[in-house]
Amino acid sequence: MTAIDSTASPARRLEWQQAEVREIVTETFRVKSLLLRVASWPGHFPGQHVDIRLTAEDGYQAQRSYSIASPPEDELLAVTVERVENGEVSPYLVGELRIGDRFELRGPIGGYFVWTVPTGGPLCLIAGGSGMAPLMAMLRHRDRQKAHIPGSVLYSSRSLEDVIYRNELDGMAQCDSNLRVIYTLTRKQPEEWLGPRRRIDKALLAEVCYPPDKNPKIFVCGPTSLVEEVARMLVELGHEPQTIKTERFGPTGA
Amino acid sequence: MSEPPISRGFRSRRQEQTPKNRLPPGQYVTTDFPVLSAGPTPQITVENWTFTLQLGGAILGTWKWAEFETLPQTTIKTDIHCVTKWSKLDTAWQGVTFDDLLKAVGLSEPPAPYIMAHCDGGYTTNVPPADLVGGQGMIATRYEGLPILPMHGGPARLLVPHLYFWKSAKWVRRLRFMEKDERGFWESLGYHNYGDPWKEQRYDGD
Amino acid sequence: MTETENGSDLVLDGNAAAGLLQEIFVSDITSARIQCGACGSIAAVGSLRLYAAQMGAVLRCVHCDGVVMRAVHTSHDRWLEMTGARSLRFGRL
Repeated sequence: MTAIDSTASPARRLEWQQAEVREIVTETFRVKSLLLRVASWPGHFPGQHVDIRLTAEDGYQAQRSYSIASPPEDELLAVTVERVENGEVSPYLVGELRIGDRFELRGPIGGYFVWTVPTGGPLCLIAGGSGMAPLMAMLRHRDRQKAHIPGSVLYSSRSLEDVIYRNELDGMAQCDSNLRVIYTLTRKQPEEWLGPRRRIDKALLAEVCYPPDKNPKIFVCGPTSLVEEVARMLVELGHEPQTIKTERFGPTGA
Repeated sequence: MSEPPISRGFRSRRQEQTPKNRLPPGQYVTTDFPVLSAGPTPQITVENWTFTLQLGGAILGTWKWAEFETLPQTTIKTDIHCVTKWSKLDTAWQGVTFDDLLKAVGLSEPPAPYIMAHCDGGYTTNVPPADLVGGQGMIATRYEGLPILPMHGGPARLLVPHLYFWKSAKWVRRLRFMEKDERGFWESLGYHNYGDPWKEQRYDGD
Repeated sequence: MTETENGSDLVLDGNAAAGLLQEIFVSDITSARIQCGACGSIAAVGSLRLYAAQMGAVLRCVHCDGVVMRAVHTSHDRWLEMTGARSLRFGRL
């Protein structure tokens, strides 16, 4: 996909199609990324998600939504799944699924929480936990397009072991002086940790996010409580609400 | 339409655990108490709380909290079934039965064949009084011996456990008797008007 | 699903209803701007607060909590109710 008009939403009925698992990447002890081949994939915008549907032999079905973590430039579609305690779908996707397995998928879905290079920057991405997935699609797209749009990332995780995509994020930041990545670890930190050790607060946001007069495109994704607090604090810091796009992840994604 | 492909090795883990004859079709047992709400949890203080029985333009009876607590209390243990497929067995509730409410306003039977329950936050659901009498329904104020938590419908919710749990309206404030049936919040948007879990009446047309 | 302290993490947003809404509208409406009938404020459908996602979608205004749109996918058909919305605006801003 080359030129992307991110304000166009093609009228297209969402159809279920088959996805085949081609690769499985272990991101953390709780999180895996599934790289999928989807036969008639129409392409997507960074930030969109897919619905996945599983059918048991007795006909029982379960359906969940997952953000697409891969950029439109990549051949395989990536979804990142966190295994939820007592979940119904995630333990299957993270624990049982093997290369070659297939399941139903439909998408891409969602045109609101989307960023593409033509939209421009500066870009401010704020994530909690697995909320990093759709933002990673945006960053990978920026990287594939070799766009040096200024960007800053604030990523909140419980501990260093919980940081998804860490090596890749560090690598991107190292090679690109226009990209800044800050991790804040809220529950457990290595002794030598020099970064922030707390939940996201106004001070952290003021430090990491571009000031309102730079008109940053802001995307916040994670648990509802984090998203709502961060959005509120950003408005208090002077950002216009329409410049802040949010996506709440919830327990229905188990 | 072709059959959806089977996902190798996928099983519903939830349906494994239960005594089958206690579960309506399509349900699974949970030990959690899932919260499902059509809106934000209303912040209600019992000082401001009232409960009313209404018929047309007439108030049949209205109680403030302290008065309501002096009405005869009944405790029941029952199973509850949510249309989203979870069931919870042996849940304990305490409150005032619909029969005792009718008695308190001097009625020996319901004055009209239909009821709409009205709640803080605007939620509504319709239930025939025939499904509330004979101990089938109550206004519950305690769950497992403790005041019902706001997120579970406290301080008081309707409890009609033999129907899908969306009928057990949280934050109930008023039961309005009606001569003609009207559909409530979910019933007017595709959900079944009656909602018998044993007949799997989830949606209109089931 | 597990109990949370006050249930606030159970509230999602219009993004999570996008699939259901696209079944009804055929195109994605989460970027469309909707005007709340109760208070007049305007927001992207994707940014509305989503309640009861397990039963369908109840989309509420972020300013006044009024119900702006409701949708349900039953085993037979799809329902949509929008009496709480004054207008829906699609396309470029």
